[in-house]
Amino acid sequence: MKINPDFANTIREIRGKALGERSHSRKVVHWVEDHRLRSGPGKAIVFILPTKGCSWALSKSGGCSICGYIYDNPQEPNFENMMKAFKEKLHDSIKDGGNYSLKLFTSGSFLDISEIPEEIQKEILEEASQYREITEIVLESRPEYVTKKTMQTIKESIDISKIEIAIGLESANDDILKKSINKGFFWEDFEKAATRIFDVGAKVKAYLLFKPPFVSEYDSIKDIMQSVSKLNKLGVDTISINAISIHRGTYLSIIFEKNQYRTPWLWSLLHLCKEIKSKYPDLRLICDVVAGGTQRGAHNCGDCDKQMTEALKQFVLSQNLEDLNNEFKCSCKTEWKSFLLQEKITIS
Amino acid sequence: MRFFQPLSQFGFGRILAETRTHYPLSPGLISIEKPESLEGYSAHFDSTLVPNYSSYDSSEIKLLWNLPDAKKEKILHEANQLSLQPFYPSYASEKLRIEDYDTYLKEFLSLSRIGEQSFYLPIDQFESEKIDGILETDCSLIILNDLSKLFTNQRKLAEKMSNLRTRLSPDIGLYLPGSVSPALYSFLTYIGIDFFDNSIAYQVSKNGYFLTEDGVFPIDSHPPCYCSQCISTPKNIFRHNETVLKNALARVNFALRNGTLRSLVEQDIHRNITFAATLRHLDTKFGELLRRRTPIISSTKVKCLGEESLNRPVVSEFRERVKERFRPHSSSRIIILLPCSARKPYTMSRSHIMFRNAIKKAGSSIFSMLSELIVTSPLSVVPRELENIYPARFYDIPVAGSWSEKEIEITSNLLSNVLSHYQEDCIIINHLHGSGYEDIIERVREKSSLEVIDTSYKAPPTSHQSLQELSEAVVNTKERFSLNQTEKVNSNTKKIQAIADFQYGPGTGKRIFHGKIKLKGRYPRSPQIFRDDKHIATMHASTGYLSLFPAYTKEVSEISLNKLDFGADYVSGSNIYAPGCLKADTHILPEDEVFVLYENDVIATARALVSGEDMNKMTSGKVAEIKKKKR
Repeated sequence: MKINPDFANTIREIRGKALGERSHSRKVVHWVEDHRLRSGPGKAIVFILPTKGCSWALSKSGGCSICGYIYDNPQEPNFENMMKAFKEKLHDSIKDGGNYSLKLFTSGSFLDISEIPEEIQKEILEEASQYREITEIVLESRPEYVTKKTMQTIKESIDISKIEIAIGLESANDDILKKSINKGFFWEDFEKAATRIFDVGAKVKAYLLFKPPFVSEYDSIKDIMQSVSKLNKLGVDTISINAISIHRGTYLSIIFEKNQYRTPWLWSLLHLCKEIKSKYPDLRLICDVVAGGTQRGAHNCGDCDKQMTEALKQFVLSQNLEDLNNEFKCSCKTEWKSFLLQEKITIS
Repeated sequence: MRFFQPLSQFGFGRILAETRTHYPLSPGLISIEKPESLEGYSAHFDSTLVPNYSSYDSSEIKLLWNLPDAKKEKILHEANQLSLQPFYPSYASEKLRIEDYDTYLKEFLSLSRIGEQSFYLPIDQFESEKIDGILETDCSLIILNDLSKLFTNQRKLAEKMSNLRTRLSPDIGLYLPGSVSPALYSFLTYIGIDFFDNSIAYQVSKNGYFLTEDGVFPIDSHPPCYCSQCISTPKNIFRHNETVLKNALARVNFALRNGTLRSLVEQDIHRNITFAATLRHLDTKFGELLRRRTPIISSTKVKCLGEESLNRPVVSEFRERVKERFRPHSSSRIIILLPCSARKPYTMSRSHIMFRNAIKKAGSSIFSMLSELIVTSPLSVVPRELENIYPARFYDIPVAGSWSEKEIEITSNLLSNVLSHYQEDCIIINHLHGSGYEDIIERVREKSSLEVIDTSYKAPPTSHQSLQELSEAVVNTKERFSLNQTEKVNSNTKKIQAIADFQYGPGTGKRIFHGKIKLKGRYPRSPQIFRDDKHIATMHASTGYLSLFPAYTKEVSEISLNKLDFGADYVSGSNIYAPGCLKADTHILPEDEVFVLYENDVIATARALVSGEDMNKMTSGKVAEIKKKKR
């Protein structure tokens, strides 16, 4: 069993209440941001495609305990409008001579044909392949949709070496996947999917979740380090550490509102980046802090938050450890250290 | 063998020591990282605070005990490990946790060297049968990871801790991790917590500043402090806070060592409304559990400060023993009820000297037929024979003259009970004065059929008029009993017999102290007691209690309530260890003199370290120290 039925039921109940209240926006959201490409610093064009949303989140098992992205998806997609907007916006975003990464997000799985039918998948990729400036295309998917067949579809539409499949692994520890995230798959599933991706010549990016519910920050630091080692061994060269941010309408949000959970410290992220980059210098290590410095995102004491999120941002772009070697001298560092051990011991 | 050994016990509070070296460790403070100086800490966590790759494999969390190097060769082990934790924290739903905790228990039991592990016990498992298996092992350190959740629910806190502590053997240490205000240390120690940590010092060092007396203060507005950390520039706030924690715990430690923990608790709880209520709840609901673990042999002051004092365990134990064990001497005919005095023992007070002189007017032979009862709060009734023992000689109470309803109820009940043991032709001379006393006597009259003569109704007891009335009443009553009706009894014998009954069990006094009894040596020396010219016992001036020579205890061993059945016919060494203790009387209190028996023969006397009930629970460590062996 890859889920705990009691846990899944609890999550589904919470989900059920929130799902009814979601909006029906079918707008194609998109933006351009600075980004670290394999070849160096560049830009990323990010699209959030309005599909019906993640099948796992909509399933009987309630989806992940931490994820509320589903609430931004419309209940019924309109692919005609979506394609029109996508093409226009993509065209407008690209400037000659630029170096772009195209990120195609659905808040679910791009490769899931119940979210995006095969012909639409193809159409999108073929459109993107027309731009020389786009050197990387990132698609997000759960491992179960990474099949020989879907990989073949991609291969027919675009130069496969440009493709990077991003999988939300969250943790390489099955206990955490099952007991605290309700992820629905295990490390072995990820491993299989990654092999399939490598086999066709595409790349894999893994998301790791820093501090899922029930796991102390201390243990989560250990878990991230261990997961990185496992991923590195598998040949994954891009890892994004996502510090938790609290999404409304999720299981995590409820325990957060009861004051039982503290979002992680920026100190921990800083420590993780340093530790991992020193051990694995060739790894592309991404650490985008969502809602940094706020109560619902990773934060420190309030005095040093801004400085530290800036430094992390800089590091992600440059991949240069020196950007983190600034002496951060905030008195909350001792508080953070003691917090780690205290939280670990009290596990609450 | 468990890692800890209780050296003394006071309520649920204990001094725990390393079991081999007897080096005391609790009540103790744990540093969450290796401190600059180990001074004042019982242990520290020895691990990298932040996990990294280089220490990754060895980063199992270790709790390293602070034992002197010289002792390290002998100790059982140096550190406790934290190898395993339940996966779900206390905030996860019950459904998730139950199954997870079962897995945890199973895995924990399969760990090697369980005695060196630390066991997690969340509140909702305190009463669970599932943990029985763990309690049978040598596991010595339990972490109460979510107990602080109950800090706002006093009733539950008292209930949960009492039940847990009664269930656990006293040699199991309890560690309450996390932020705990040092103002609560004394109370929490009293209900059975052994270890605290210094994490609060880290946490408040940025936002607050705090002091021993009253908890946490904001940094920009706190009472001034002139400790070396505070007068140096820049101020070292963390060090100051750390020192405060150490001092606060040292204070509790000192009180425990000196037997004054209860007084400290009564003082301290007034800082926190919740905890003040908890103590009252604890006393009324679980007082008996505390009583059975509170020494009655002591020589410390019993300061009765507030309402809590009425139900103080040692006070209720005294009342209980007066009720169960005090039986008036058969020669008693006249019962005189007297008020208490500020000076103790009462006999030494001005007022009691006046009473005595007034009574003497009936001739000194009167004392054989006299039974004096001092009516007082909070002890209720102190027979003259017991005025010298703890706590009768040691209590102090702010006298306001008014009695509360509760005091009146308790006192009149006990007094009626004591009076019911006198012969039916006895006469009561009531020399009490004031409305509180009147209410008490009113209720006593309803229950007792004995005749009551009031001698201090109109005027205060030491007034000329009342003393006159007292003399007359005594003279008149004496005439009603013909002298040959009563035997002549030595008042010292009467006193020693009453103390023996109180200390060893009803009926023991007469069995030991018969024949010609003589005392040698006077206060402040401890009088030696001779029976037919043989030194058979000593009365300790400091406590008022007796010590018997083992050779003379045979005649009482069968009826005494302080027996310890030993597994061999000879005690080697100077201690009794738990495995040798086959069965201990549940009446035994810590510090009590116990009779060590082998096949109904007393082979030694010993001083109990823990209560009899707890002796039966312990599987290792010493339970009593030998005082005298039978030659």
